[in-house]
Amino acid sequence: MNEKNISIFSKVESHYSDYGQRARELKNEGEKIIGYVCSLVPLEIITAAGCIPFRIRGDVHDPITKGDTNLETIACPFYRSCFDQSVKGKYDFLDGSVVAHGCDSMTRTYAVWQYTLDLSYSHFINLPHTLSKSSMEFFRAELNTFIKSLGKFAGKEISDDDLAEAIGLYNENRDKVKALYEFRKPDPPIVSGTEITKILTVGASLPVAEANKLFDEVLEELGQRKESPFKKARRIMIDGACVDNIELVKLVEDLGANVVIDTLCNGTRDNLPHTDTGGDPLSALGDRYLNKINCPRTYRENKEQDLQKELESRFGDIGSYAREFNADAAILYVYKYCDPFGFEVPARKAYFDSIKLPVLYLEDEYSAGTIGQLKTRIQAFLEMIQ
Amino acid sequence: MAEEKKKHKKRRTATQAAASIGPMVKAAIGGTIKAKEEGKKTAYTFIVCLYDEILRAMDIVPVWTENYAGVCGAKRDAERFLERAESLSFSRSLCTYALCGLGFDQWREELGEMPPDAPWGGQARPDMMLSSGQILCDPRNKWYQAAQQFMPDVPIHNVDLPYPFYEDDIHYSEVQDYYIKHIMEELRGLVAFLEKQTGKKMDYDRLSETVDLGERTWNLLHETYELRRAVPTPMGTGDAMNTMVPMAFMLGTQEAYDFYVGLNKELKEKIARKEGVIENEKYRLLWGGGLPSWFALTDFNYFNSKGAVFPAETTYRMIQPIYNMYMPDTNDPIERLAWRWFGYWVYWYDKAGKRPGSHPDVEWLIQYIEDYQIEGVVMHEAFSCRTWHLGLIWQLNQLAKIYKPIPVLVLGKDGREKKAGRELPSLVLESDIIDITTYSEVDTRNRIDAFIETLESVKQSKTN
Repeated sequence: MNEKNISIFSKVESHYSDYGQRARELKNEGEKIIGYVCSLVPLEIITAAGCIPFRIRGDVHDPITKGDTNLETIACPFYRSCFDQSVKGKYDFLDGSVVAHGCDSMTRTYAVWQYTLDLSYSHFINLPHTLSKSSMEFFRAELNTFIKSLGKFAGKEISDDDLAEAIGLYNENRDKVKALYEFRKPDPPIVSGTEITKILTVGASLPVAEANKLFDEVLEELGQRKESPFKKARRIMIDGACVDNIELVKLVEDLGANVVIDTLCNGTRDNLPHTDTGGDPLSALGDRYLNKINCPRTYRENKEQDLQKELESRFGDIGSYAREFNADAAILYVYKYCDPFGFEVPARKAYFDSIKLPVLYLEDEYSAGTIGQLKTRIQAFLEMIQ
Repeated sequence: MAEEKKKHKKRRTATQAAASIGPMVKAAIGGTIKAKEEGKKTAYTFIVCLYDEILRAMDIVPVWTENYAGVCGAKRDAERFLERAESLSFSRSLCTYALCGLGFDQWREELGEMPPDAPWGGQARPDMMLSSGQILCDPRNKWYQAAQQFMPDVPIHNVDLPYPFYEDDIHYSEVQDYYIKHIMEELRGLVAFLEKQTGKKMDYDRLSETVDLGERTWNLLHETYELRRAVPTPMGTGDAMNTMVPMAFMLGTQEAYDFYVGLNKELKEKIARKEGVIENEKYRLLWGGGLPSWFALTDFNYFNSKGAVFPAETTYRMIQPIYNMYMPDTNDPIERLAWRWFGYWVYWYDKAGKRPGSHPDVEWLIQYIEDYQIEGVVMHEAFSCRTWHLGLIWQLNQLAKIYKPIPVLVLGKDGREKKAGRELPSLVLESDIIDITTYSEVDTRNRIDAFIETLESVKQSKTN
């Protein structure tokens, strides 16, 4: 690798390990930083308001302590860790936070965040659970309320042109993520799952234009890897919710497999669906965040009353990605206390069975303390699929 | 477990009305099985779903799946269904009502008949399942979808019923138009689905009458529970865990209304006789949040044995007086239902806005503390339910921060005593709604003992 390339990955590493460093700088320069946790928060609106969206991360290496004084331990452990990091001051540069109606852990603790962090701005976006015509209209109205509220805070009237521009930037971002994923297709892949996790995690901490620039530089570097630095091995898909750290993926790769594709919130679920352009931007955003993001919290009607067709309609994207990236097996990784994913585990397993992809189901805490147990189970699984 | 079931004592009730609930629930569950045999349409559904009256007006027999799980829990017979769900790869950390229901359903479908010795005859196979995509509960959105894996032929209809959250910068009146419009559309979508399933049209005159009966039941229940302000209180939360049944499972029926007429009369008679839940009422407590452990309702008797009573609770008081809400002048029962839903959820918003640092959930506690002369707050954290149990600790912390109603003397910096206010004592119990493996009677009662000592100590240090 030449010096320039080393510096790109050093930069990724630096932003990953000192997460939020750029947001802190921007805050010092007078920018308004808006924190969010879930993929269902429409970042285009935050950007169109002239604010910087910043994805709040947890920390698997830091035991949850201060957060537990205000938040029950029965909440999603990932979300608890995000809250814990926030109340410990890790994200003291935040001006506000936006919470979407993702799951009960987010919804039922909105006031806890609102009052405990006491940020200048907070807002809750009420996503419907269904995809009816009325739900789409309701969600559009709800996004409009968010626009007015955030615009008032930011001191800016957000126009359709502002939205269109932001939509363009994010669509560009998603194109670049897609291009990054292309490097996972060869066997062995050109880029590791660990690297991808770091790159995408860092991207979510930067203004979208800066993330786009970073991704360009990474793509350029990856383009120069004429040969894969990795060995041929079993190609693994990771399916689940939000995995904002490298520990799981790195563990799988350290055990001799290659993680080549995912259906995770901060992977394909969030980063690949585009927002339609050319029409009403709010309706297009509504369609992207409610319909195109395939999250189990959104109910998709089973019109056929046929189990196999139902599985295909809900989880067809898993099969498509598995085929496209030639996955040999999958790990279904779900956090304890996660109702939206937890109630889908038997159905997801049935789907994996139907596409003949061996699957290992892991229920986990959000803690580095479980790595040992995970290692044993993953090792056994990899041996089984050899 | 059999030994455990045999040894477990029933909770003593203070009112005849509460004592009559057990047989009523048993008859209702048996009634759903009978209805199915008679060819009536049955629907799995959830309490506080808003569309009770719609089901009643269309002669659809609701099968309250949370209720049946609660019955299994109360009879200490949920474990085998929970284990079955776990064996199907459902995590034990998920809602145990849902796990119990899923375990039961899978077993019934596998056998083609009710599981052996199913509590109270079992739960009828539904003709349809009505999910509630409400903002308040993920399992309501996911449970039936998961059940469809065992019953793929049973259709689901999911009704989206949002309400606005409490925000500093947006008053609910700014968003109410599109909320009401959406709720009405969703209810009309449900009616269309039910018409398709039953093959008959909705009789809107009948629905109007049913909604009217439902509204009168809400008002009557509110007025009846307000009677519990009396000292000594004639009824406690233990009884309220029974008397919520007609509101939650029978709304829109004459039987539910008549039940509260009877309860109202009984409470008035007890008040006239100055007859309380216990003879010497020493501490008045608020059940400030959390569903009860259905297998351990005798804990309420234990509180009573220490001189403590619960004149009020926020749990299952899922009604507010309709006459205190905005209700448009309309003949459309669907519109009335939508406004009732909206009005219920924003009921405390304006009041919270007037007290610095308050929040609707906290304001509700404060109002009851004042109305019912409360001296301490008890909550229960059920580990498997995020819906009702997240935010409780924060509510207590915020309550303590902004509301200090107990006058005490404290030592000032100058060494002199001065008057100050302190927060109410509080207790958070930990267990589950139906998973008995999470419960320790000894530990729970030790905590209650310690709390009672705190209440006594506060009483002693109180200045007047």
